[in-house]
Formats: sequence, C-alpha cells, structure tokens
Amino acid sequence: MSTARNIPNDRGLTLRMFATGLMLVILYGAVIGALIAFGISYSVVLVFAAAILFAQYWFSDKIALYGMGGRIVTPEQAPELHGAIDRLCAMADMKKPRVAIADTDVPNAFATGRSPNNAVVCATSGLMRRLDEPELEAVLAHELSHVAHRDVAVMTIASFLGMAAGMVTRMMLWTGMMGGFGGGGNDNNNNQGGDNAALVELAVLVVSVVVYAISFLLTMALSRYRELAADRSGALLTGQPSVLASALVKVTGDIARIPTRDLRSTETFNAFYFTPAIAKNGVSISTIFSTHPSLDQRLAQLASLEAEMGRPS
Amino acid sequence: MGLFDSLLGRTKPVQADLDALFALPSASITLQSAAGTACSGHAGVCFKPPTGQGFADTETEVRSLLAMDDDSGLTSSQDSFGYQWLVMEDHDIEALVTKIHLVNSSLSDAGWGPQLLCSVFGLAHLPAAGPEDASREGATVGAGAVLPSTAYLVYLFKRGTFYPFVPTGHEQRSTEEEFKLRSLVADDLSVETDLDRWFPLWDLPVP
Repeated sequence: MSTARNIPNDRGLTLRMFATGLMLVILYGAVIGALIAFGISYSVVLVFAAAILFAQYWFSDKIALYGMGGRIVTPEQAPELHGAIDRLCAMADMKKPRVAIADTDVPNAFATGRSPNNAVVCATSGLMRRLDEPELEAVLAHELSHVAHRDVAVMTIASFLGMAAGMVTRMMLWTGMMGGFGGGGNDNNNNQGGDNAALVELAVLVVSVVVYAISFLLTMALSRYRELAADRSGALLTGQPSVLASALVKVTGDIARIPTRDLRSTETFNAFYFTPAIAKNGVSISTIFSTHPSLDQRLAQLASLEAEMGRPS
Repeated sequence: MGLFDSLLGRTKPVQADLDALFALPSASITLQSAAGTACSGHAGVCFKPPTGQGFADTETEVRSLLAMDDDSGLTSSQDSFGYQWLVMEDHDIEALVTKIHLVNSSLSDAGWGPQLLCSVFGLAHLPAAGPEDASREGATVGAGAVLPSTAYLVYLFKRGTFYPFVPTGHEQRSTEEEFKLRSLVADDLSVETDLDRWFPLWDLPVP
C-alpha cells in the first residue's frame, strides 16, 4: 500500500536521502576506524561532543522554545491552532504534540522534541497573522511530518560527527597556538619525537578539517531532503499541495522583507524551521550550504503532487 | 511507522478502519435501557476534501447513491477548519449506520480513506416511553422519530475507536457527562483510551 490515490513514494528523493545517509555512516566508520587504527585516543572529545549533543537532543523542546520565546498554549487560549492540530493528528493517527506560540513578527513555524511523545509544534504570531486558515493548516501538517519523521533525532545523529570534528579542529588550533605543535612544552622530549608528534598533530588537524567540511555538506544535504520529504507528507495529509505552496510563497516573500536585525537573532534555529530566516543579503551563498531547499525546488515538487492528485479516477 | 520510514522521511497515510461502526446499534440499546438515551437519528461524516477532480467525482457519486433513498435528509456543509460534512438522518439506527458505512466505504474504496476524519452520531434523551405521543408510536430503538441531539458519539476512523462528546454551550463541554457515557458504552464499543484524542468538535453541523 503506498499512499492516497496510489501516489507512489518519491523514489528519487528516497534514494538521495539514503545515499546521503549512507555516506555519513561511511564517514563515521572511516573516522572511528582511523582512530582505532592509529591508536589515537580522542575518546574524551568524542564523549564530550556526545554529551553536548545528547543534551541538545534530550532538551531540544525546551532549548528551542526558550530560544524563540515560545510559550505552550492551552486549547482555550488558541482554539483555532489546537483545533487544526487535533484534526490533523486524528487524520494521521499520531499523538497530539504540545502546541506553542512565539510572539515574534517573523512568520515561521517549527517542530522540535526528541520523540513524537515529547514533541512541540510552535507557530509564530507573525505566521498566524499572515496566513489564512487552510494555509496555516498546511504549514502545521508540514511540521507534524517533521515530528512523524523524527527529524530532530535524525539530524542530531547526523550532525554529531561534524560537531566532534569541529571540536577537534578548534582544540588542535588552540593547543597549537598555546604551546606550539609538538606536545606543548614537554622539554624532556628529544627533538625527533617532538617532530613526529608535530606531524601527527598536523595530520589530525587536516583530517578533522576535511571530515568537518564533508560532514557539514552531507548534513546540509540531508536537511534539505528532509524538508522536501516533510513538504510531501504534509501536502498528502491535507490533500492540498497548492495550499502549502501558497503559504510558502507568502512566508518566503515576507521573510525577505523583514529587517535584517530581527532575523539574525533567529538564525541558529534554522534547521527546525519551516523556511530559513536568513537575511536577504545572505541568500546568495550557494544552495549546498543551506538547510532548506530553494523555494523553486519546493514549489516544483508541490506542483507535481498537485498534478498527480488532480488526475481523474 | 517503521524505522526505515522514519529514516527515509516517508509517511504512509493511515487507512480508515470501518468495521467497528456496526457495534453502534447494540450500544444504542444499552444506552436506552440504562440511561433513557439512544441514537437521535442524525449522523454525519467528516472528511478533508483533497484537491482535484478525482475526489469531486467520487463525492458526486456517493451523494447520488444516498439520494436514491429519498428520506435520508442529506445535507452537505463545510466547517471553519475546511473539512466537509455530509449529514444525514434516518430514524432506523441500523439503516443510519449502513448509510454512514456506505459513504465511508465508497470514499475509502476509491482510495480516499486517508482523507476521512471522523463520523459523528447524535444521541438524544428519549421521552419517557409514552404511548400517548401519537407521532412516535412504538418509540423503541430503531423505530423512533428523529430527535435533536444533545450528545454525540464520535468515531475516529484511523483508530477504530469511539469517544463521547457533550457540548454544553459556546466552546464548553461536559466532561462529567462524557465520562458517564463512556462507562455506559464501554462494553459495546471500543472507546478511545487516550483522552488527548477526545478533541472537541464545536459547532457540529449534525443537529
């Protein structure tokens, strides 16, 4: 059984996502293998990075809500938002997440939380003011798809290696600057040993920079594919792809019009956003560095879904 | 949803479970004997109309099927959340359930099962068995007149469960009455155990 009206799964998207994930796994394996093979003990760094990411994952709902100034609302405080989410959850047979509103004019929405049982879906007041009911529902369906796909967990695991490599790089640069490459002021070392140690540390630095770069690109790619997947599932849930498309156009246009200063303060949370809040003059960076697919790409996917659903039976 | 669907970001739309509906007539009998309440004769199906001609064709087909039965009192309306309601009436509870099932299974067979949200059955207090009321002669279950509903049983397609919903005014519900109803129908129907899913349906188009 595939989907409503037998709309097949997007093979290409699934394949690209699988390939990206596979490359990340291979990268993980290679790094861990290299660490073991060379007998280099960076377990402290790895444990440290794991601890930070685990905390980030475990408290993702609280961190994101705190960062965005979102507050949990009751059905009495926001009956429309709750009503729309109640119905979408009943259609998708998923547990209802907590519902939050962030009082900011940036029109956006995000979903966070370590598992569907701890999920929070948050909409900004700017979003609710700009979109009409069906469009808001389409955006909520997109966010609920993130919850159903466990995107917080997937992206946390995916970004672990990049984060660890980044930490190694920074640590090496730091110790390098403080004590010079070569074991940091250990005067009892003979010169030969010191040179070797310096070489090894330089190699580790280069490798960790390379690993960081590759895993960063892979993580960004994975994030874009998961956005497309959430667009797709969300559109199938409401059955109205073009409503989501119109919400996207409205929100994206609005975001570009908003002053830069407000937007900069929210950029850290882009990975969980409906549309990335990057100031307009920062958009020119090539798409491979962005967490979200381009608007054209998202609209094209929704248009083809709309065409598939419109086929007479 | 399986692990691989999570990892690959796929969601399978959930198909509707239609069979549990047929437990309703016996629940209605239980309610009547225990609380003097029974199905009011009103019921509605709620679904999210998707885009495209394919669905529009199916809906027209379903409505013409129902229209063949001239006393079905079929009305159609859209609520504020953009969901479509097909509301019908029949004093015979068995016939009513069959009609609702017809709508559900037609939509579901045409591939629109994932678009179904819920079915709602009205409940009403029966007047104390009074043979003096000529218009309601033999007011037994399934043969009574159609009454305005005071409470509702909501059927969740995706769960295959029912929950009671008793609105008491503007965006207010009587949780106490709902729990009473739950304990009454618990033996006949599978009642939704997760109270989070007992979502309110304000301004129900079902009379």
